Amino acid sequence: MKVLSKTKLEEALNKLSQANEVFVPMQKKAQSGYFPWSSFVSGQDELMLEALNVYQSPKGAVLPQTEKMYRYKQGGMEINISETFEDSHPTIIFGARACDVKGILAMDEVFLTRGYEDSFYKARRSANTIIANACYEPGSNCFCNAMEVNAVDPAGADVILRDAGETLVWEVKSEKGEAVTAIIADLLEEKEVQLPQPKPFNQKVDYNGVAEKLKTMFDHPLWDKLSASCINCGMCTFVCPSCYCFDIQVKMWGEEGYRFRAWDSCMFEEYSREAGGGNPRGASKERFRQRFLHKLEFFTERYGTPLCTGCGRCMIVCPTDVNIVRIIDAVKEAEVNA
Amino acid sequence: MPDKDHKCTCSEQPLVPKVVEVIDIIDRTPDVKSFFVRNVDGNGLPFQVDPGQCGMVSMPIGEAMISCTWQEEQEYLEFAIKRVGLLTDELHQIEIGQQIGVRGPYGNGFPVEACKGKDMVFIAGGIGLAPLRSFIKYCFKHREDYGKITILYGSRSQADLCFKEELFDLWPKESNTEVFVTIDNAEPDWNGHVGFVPAYLEELNPSSAGAVAVVCGPPIMIKFVLQSLEKMGYNDDQVITTLEMRMKCGIGKCGRCNIGSEFICLDGPVYYLKQLRDLPPEW
Repeated sequence: MKVLSKTKLEEALNKLSQANEVFVPMQKKAQSGYFPWSSFVSGQDELMLEALNVYQSPKGAVLPQTEKMYRYKQGGMEINISETFEDSHPTIIFGARACDVKGILAMDEVFLTRGYEDSFYKARRSANTIIANACYEPGSNCFCNAMEVNAVDPAGADVILRDAGETLVWEVKSEKGEAVTAIIADLLEEKEVQLPQPKPFNQKVDYNGVAEKLKTMFDHPLWDKLSASCINCGMCTFVCPSCYCFDIQVKMWGEEGYRFRAWDSCMFEEYSREAGGGNPRGASKERFRQRFLHKLEFFTERYGTPLCTGCGRCMIVCPTDVNIVRIIDAVKEAEVNA
Repeated sequence: MPDKDHKCTCSEQPLVPKVVEVIDIIDRTPDVKSFFVRNVDGNGLPFQVDPGQCGMVSMPIGEAMISCTWQEEQEYLEFAIKRVGLLTDELHQIEIGQQIGVRGPYGNGFPVEACKGKDMVFIAGGIGLAPLRSFIKYCFKHREDYGKITILYGSRSQADLCFKEELFDLWPKESNTEVFVTIDNAEPDWNGHVGFVPAYLEELNPSSAGAVAVVCGPPIMIKFVLQSLEKMGYNDDQVITTLEMRMKCGIGKCGRCNIGSEFICLDGPVYYLKQLRDLPPEW
């Protein structure tokens, strides 16, 4: 098998970064997330390849938190919308865990299927290569195995890394994977190494039947109880590897500016508030229910797989201890009228 | 039934508006104006619409999804727009010759084929007549394909009645057609019906046999009209409505206009009541 010695990791990242923007999990002062390797400051930033999940998922590589769409000029009676900003510079997500890769696959379904291809997403995603990092030891909040994710064999990865101690096994899975492998071919060696044994998951979650059961539970009293502590801060949607909802806004300086889109959150009251004042999800509980039904029922109905990837981030960041595992448990246990 | 096999007919950049010129503006009521647009070079349209489809109207300040009026001669696009928010406020201040952005067409539109051979009952309130007007115009253009046509329209006051020429002049002259108009409260110079739409509907009681009712208006009106129709014997597959939600992208990506697993901008906005019964009650 092909392996990359960990002593050559930085050299490999340097090489990959020559023609690609390489997003790598790192701790950057107070921030933890995927940042370009070119921004890595030795002695100050910390490479976090061994961490299971850095705080921010890598979704920003294909759906940036803010993204310019097109330039807008208005002068008197005329407007001009000619320059658009589809960004297709080559990017690599290096070290993504299976849950985060699944998040991007879910976004592929949203942005690239059902008749309309989102040109901005398509440009970035086409130029994006995913080098995933297989998980052998689930963390205390991990439950991806319950959400149709294979932690050891991440679906959708172009290359899979396997941490074998001194080396990273380098497993090529696609043509895109071959292309990035060629860049660092001289750093790889052929060597048989012992792979770790996958350890069991700590969280026991059973998603089977949840989507179907939720279909009968829209008006169930359990939403009052579950949502009582939620303050709709939106942290969960911010760190979620599969939350993709966006807003479209404009920035103008006098007569010129640009339209951009930015991550939005179903937790916010303005999200679904109409110009006339109406809001189908004006109450906190309604927004809370929307988020979990979208994750566990609606997306599954529409795309055949849940929108939760079991990464566990939302449980960690929630300031009021909302916990999606406990919600799944509560749904499983809830009594419903037949 | 809405067509689930979505075909993007707009462009390879569905989120980028096309620039059009406003060639005419008509005041419909004190807070509703119709804007007529076509390509800036004077030729053709940025896109064509089927009855009930929408377009995203775009100004620097923002974008809004607006029902786009179906035209027999597709020489311009018409958007009848009520002034309710930031964008529509600004739109109401523009003058003829102004360029704006539009993108579309979005949504499924009315099931004009499936309704052929049926008696049509159109029930609208306020600006809700705007989307139904497309279907009504389509029926009159293909008059022999549809049975009796009944139009019931209500608004708060006389001044708020949209499309008066069509209501009082053009549509009543069509064959096998009846038009009923009501306002909420009596006014000195009003000789017509006074009262709310649902009550008037029950009074008129158009037969449900072989009929389809198409409903659009304020949520409260829709709610009571649906109850009335049920009382009058209309089944859930004989009632059609067109929904409204906040929208940003128009193509089922940005998330906010969902009801259950449906995206209203893409899978809707037109639904049979039968389909809505399967969705969470957020409509």
